[in-house]
Amino acid sequence: MSGSHGWSLWRRQITVLAKQEIGRSLFSRRSLAVYLLAAMPIALALLRALFLPESQRAHAAHTTTEFAEVYHFFILRFIVFFSAAMLFVKLFRGEILERSLHYHLLAPVRREILTVGKYIGGLLASAAILGATVVLTIVLFYLPHGRAGMAHLTSASGLGEGFAYLVTTVLACAAYGALFLLAGLYFKNPMIPAVLFLGWELLTPFLPGFLKLLSVVHYLGSLEPVPISQGPFALMAQPVPGWLAVVALIAISVGLLALGAWKARGLEITYSTE
Amino acid sequence: MTADIISVKNVSKFYGEVLGVNRVTVDIEPGLTGLVGPNGSGKSTLMHLLCGLLRPTRGSISVIGVPPDKPEELFRLVGYCTQYDSFPNGSTGYSFLSHTLALHGLDGVDADRRAWEVLEQVGLTEAARRRIAGYSKGMRQRIKLAQAICHDPRVLILDEPLNGLDPMGRAEMIDLFKELAGAGRHVIVSSHILHEVDLISDGVIMIHGGSVVAEGSIRDVRGEITAQPLQVLVRCDRPHAIAARAFEFAHVVEAQIVDEATGVLLRTTDAGAFFPELGRIILDSGVEVETVTPADESVHAVYDYLIGDGGGGP
Repeated sequence: MSGSHGWSLWRRQITVLAKQEIGRSLFSRRSLAVYLLAAMPIALALLRALFLPESQRAHAAHTTTEFAEVYHFFILRFIVFFSAAMLFVKLFRGEILERSLHYHLLAPVRREILTVGKYIGGLLASAAILGATVVLTIVLFYLPHGRAGMAHLTSASGLGEGFAYLVTTVLACAAYGALFLLAGLYFKNPMIPAVLFLGWELLTPFLPGFLKLLSVVHYLGSLEPVPISQGPFALMAQPVPGWLAVVALIAISVGLLALGAWKARGLEITYSTE
Repeated sequence: MTADIISVKNVSKFYGEVLGVNRVTVDIEPGLTGLVGPNGSGKSTLMHLLCGLLRPTRGSISVIGVPPDKPEELFRLVGYCTQYDSFPNGSTGYSFLSHTLALHGLDGVDADRRAWEVLEQVGLTEAARRRIAGYSKGMRQRIKLAQAICHDPRVLILDEPLNGLDPMGRAEMIDLFKELAGAGRHVIVSSHILHEVDLISDGVIMIHGGSVVAEGSIRDVRGEITAQPLQVLVRCDRPHAIAARAFEFAHVVEAQIVDEATGVLLRTTDAGAFFPELGRIILDSGVEVETVTPADESVHAVYDYLIGDGGGGP
């Protein structure tokens, strides 16, 4: 049968697989829980906008810090983490549970390409959902402050902050996504390692400096445009430079994805034992 | 020619401590091969091993020169219709096929054209836009078959492909298998319905308890079962005459008049000597013979002799 070959075939296969995963992640029943999670910061920001005391509406200065804390402690550590868990764990585990993964394994697709295609699909879907959440939440945070709020949002610093939050969110999706894809390949119940890793991430402020380097959120925190107070534990590790954080997060993602591809290469279909 | 052979060499597969298949060695040539054995005998495990869905614990497999751990090469040559009756959520018959074809590298137009061709071949054109979840068992079987043949593979591996099909559908599919095998392809069919395997197979592989107990053409396999005398049914006008003369030969151990004296069933322990001597008896006695047919040169009979408890079917 004729068709493309080599790189062109791989590109085509990755596109096909990614499109399928985007469709599943954005439009299937399984995405409902992710949408509910992603809507929580928007709902919080909306409630804040509705019930913000009149006295505070005139001043937008505290909003930047307020949002930074909401972003770090709620959006990044909770919403992005669990959304990525739900979306990426299902890339393989979902198909194993619905007993349809074998159709992908019966196609002339290298298992590495299968892994990359699924990952890219999950990454684009999660970035779209969570990126939209971040943008809407920022806008709703500044909206009650009227003209001053809008002026900040459209200023160079406001746009820069928004961009930095978006980049941080996408990199969080990339790193957590690769981690949960791997968990979906290795564990029948990936939520157990997910909770353990969440515990590790929550412990980050209490960890000595060298152990902080093994935490994803440590690098993500270094990319956030507005520093947040970590209390006395902040002294134990300085944020890494932005470029280094980006490189580290990409390296973590690629490393975990490579492990996932290696695991996928030896994957066997034994649905009855799942 | 080695390049045309599916070669399984000393392959074992264990699931932990549970045996899947044990030291299986077979060479499968082009044509229609029936894989038969009772439930849990290792048929599906062997098929999974051929397709790389399972990895052998030991031994090696080559599917016309390609090892199963290279899916990018293997599935250009191989189509596999599994026993699993499940599909990607939300798929329609058309989307399922066109997605498969896109993974084979076909662009949109070619994938679309080929998808409709195959849907027509398996008789699902009208249902193509409906969700597979709403298909009948027979339709699901057909769409699985379509997925297996859509890229025109040289090797077609079919795990119980006739399950759920109505008699007309079975006949159509059997014709399709014969056509594909006739064109020089490997078609390996597992089935528990032995008379259907008998109808379609050029050769059989019998598997029991994870081990291959016989392989080859039905006649060859039957010929090797020397412990069971060969049964030959002679339809003629005077069966008693043949029965009386047949006992002159020491290798004829039984003669039974059957079907209201329209035939005689003879059992012989020496098939090689029997047929020339039967010819002489017929010539000497002037009996008018309608047919002479081996009565137990069938998959069913061979299965009974080797594995027992008959196979059966619906």
